[in-house]
Amino acid sequence: MISPVLTFFNNKGGVGKTSLIYHLAWMFASLRKRIVAADLDPQANLTAAFLTEEEIEAIWEEEKPGSTVFQCVKPLAGVGDIAEPHLRRIAPDLYLLPGDVRLSGYEESLSMEWPNSMGDHNLYRPMRILSSFWQVMQMAARAVRADLVLVDIGPNLGAINRSALLATDYVAIPLGADLFSLQGLGNLGPALRSWKNLWKKRLDNWRESGEARLYPDFHLPEGKMQPIGYLCQQHGVRLERPVQAYDKWVQRIPGGYRKHVLNEEHIPKISQEEDPYCLAIIKHYRSLIPMAQECRKPIFNLTSADGAIGSHANAVQDARKDFRLLAEKIAGEIGLQL
Amino acid sequence: MRRYSDEELLELLKSLESDRIERKESFNGDVPRKVRQAVCAFANDLPNHNEPGVLFVGAKDDGEPSGLHVTDRLLLALADIKTDGNILPLPVLSVEKRVLRGAELAVVTVMPSDMPPVKYDGRIWIRTGPRRAIANEQEERLLIERRRYKNLPFDIYPVPSARITDLSRSIFENEYLPSAFAPDVLEENNRTYEERLASCKMIVSPENAIPTVLGLFALGKSPQDFLPGACIQFLRIDGTELADPVVDEEKIGGAVVEMLRRAEEKLRAHNRVAVDIASAPTHRIGMPYPPAAIQQILYNAVLHRTYESTNAPVRVYWFDDRIEIHSPGGPYGNVTSENFGRPGITDYRNPNIADVLKTFGFIQAFGRGIPTARREAERNGNPPLEFETSQSAVVCTLRRKS
Repeated sequence: MISPVLTFFNNKGGVGKTSLIYHLAWMFASLRKRIVAADLDPQANLTAAFLTEEEIEAIWEEEKPGSTVFQCVKPLAGVGDIAEPHLRRIAPDLYLLPGDVRLSGYEESLSMEWPNSMGDHNLYRPMRILSSFWQVMQMAARAVRADLVLVDIGPNLGAINRSALLATDYVAIPLGADLFSLQGLGNLGPALRSWKNLWKKRLDNWRESGEARLYPDFHLPEGKMQPIGYLCQQHGVRLERPVQAYDKWVQRIPGGYRKHVLNEEHIPKISQEEDPYCLAIIKHYRSLIPMAQECRKPIFNLTSADGAIGSHANAVQDARKDFRLLAEKIAGEIGLQL
Repeated sequence: MRRYSDEELLELLKSLESDRIERKESFNGDVPRKVRQAVCAFANDLPNHNEPGVLFVGAKDDGEPSGLHVTDRLLLALADIKTDGNILPLPVLSVEKRVLRGAELAVVTVMPSDMPPVKYDGRIWIRTGPRRAIANEQEERLLIERRRYKNLPFDIYPVPSARITDLSRSIFENEYLPSAFAPDVLEENNRTYEERLASCKMIVSPENAIPTVLGLFALGKSPQDFLPGACIQFLRIDGTELADPVVDEEKIGGAVVEMLRRAEEKLRAHNRVAVDIASAPTHRIGMPYPPAAIQQILYNAVLHRTYESTNAPVRVYWFDDRIEIHSPGGPYGNVTSENFGRPGITDYRNPNIADVLKTFGFIQAFGRGIPTARREAERNGNPPLEFETSQSAVVCTLRRKS
């Protein structure tokens, strides 16, 4: 069984990506879909959202094979093979593959093997390293029979993210409402297309190499990287000027997405609300966010005991509806039965 | 609690038509959820059998044993149904390993609840014939009417002097209901305000809209007008004896959410963080008492205390060297002075208040308060917790770490 992998990616940081994945993971789990949340961002923010600092410290200090993404792939950098991932159970249908700051050290191996994988001989090792994230995630998904793997990666176009995206079937792009997000699309879209092509060449090269026959059990990801749409953050609007500036960027996003990510010529004049590629406009949940972070739970699970009383209680209900809609929309895009 | 003999169980196992029986081959995959639905449905006892429902794990649909090996782990997983707080109010059930027809079976016997409707995961499950379903309005009303006065716990007694207007509608509709029922259940039902209150045991019935003790406790605008003792008294004493000067005092009332949150704020303010910069190369931050332990003891006091014929509040006395938390009413039911605090021994004087505390999010699972408090105290470096029980009170003492 191969589980679908959905990655949230933007090369611009600070667009609320980690919080989004965190909430979606909880929402899918509450809809009884089994989820593995994989933290491939060396900054490990997603891990920090799920676990306390003491728990993370214990995992990192222990250095047990498979305890983090890095501990899974680390043996590959030497002479070993991928270690079986050791997942943390967060809730009945929710598992975390913890991230690791040391993962950045793996970037070098990944960049080194990229040209090697186009060579004529000894392709097994480079291909194994380049596809290691996919292998680890599929091992994790198999271990718990996951319906979906959600992946968080850092905001850059480096070798770690290239490998993470090769392992991805679907890509969702969270955006902020600013110049940088729009500009970012201009780098991101072409990068995705180019990686997809380059990976296809490597797959062909591997299959023609004859080495493939020596390793019949060695499976490789397709590198589908299909963009399923974008998400936009709602701006906290108060004064007039920011509203105008915000509006300007917001209006250019549907066009920017088509041009850069989908490579479409025809740019329709539509607003985000009516754009089918707009998966959601993420609201600003204001004081619910710090409350939720303190309690280590998603905002839609906050209770009266946590302080979600009065108007907060209503906001909690609204947040649950919003995230449920988003989960349903995403499930529709990737063909996941809810 | 009734225990069936082997003959009776065999008879039940064979009777394929009965709606008091459910058989499962194993406890894997989707089964734990379905078993919980069945337990909820047996506890509701809509057909009014007044007999326990029985669930066999390790039997095929035709009553033949499936050859399951009944392990301790399986029995523990089954017992967890009772305390994980997903079925509310807590069901009365027993879990045992029995040998029938030479094969091992796990047998769960579920007593009909005195306090229907019972919910699982925010839904009221019932049995009608061989099927399991979610109760409709009419069925829910039948269940509400079935609550019998005679052996009800005090927490759902009517408070005749109170009126429905003494309950806060906004707390009920905005905070309580969305947590108590699954969203889809709330969306599709068109029950009236009174029917909803009655379903949650906040009033006696839609026709007799008198608030219950529970209603005032959970939603009251000023519950202490009717239940003067349902509050928390806080005293900060400058010394180690009650006769020493009092430096802070507050009587904290209101409905439960407000009361507990205000009490916790008060406790947090007094639990001053000490930053030690002298004794180690890097500074250490320490608290005299672990907040989670104080919290658990306080919740326990509010949950397990007696609300019946007493005007005593839960009392929190904060001395220089210790905190004492007094909970009115001695140990209850299964719990005695002798076995107090031992793991696995719990009982509920106020099962419906337990339901409300779980719904509002103060409790995650049942039976874990004292173990959690003990562990936190140890982790923080405090001496072990001390419990003193008598006929009229349970007193817990947390000593300051030296």
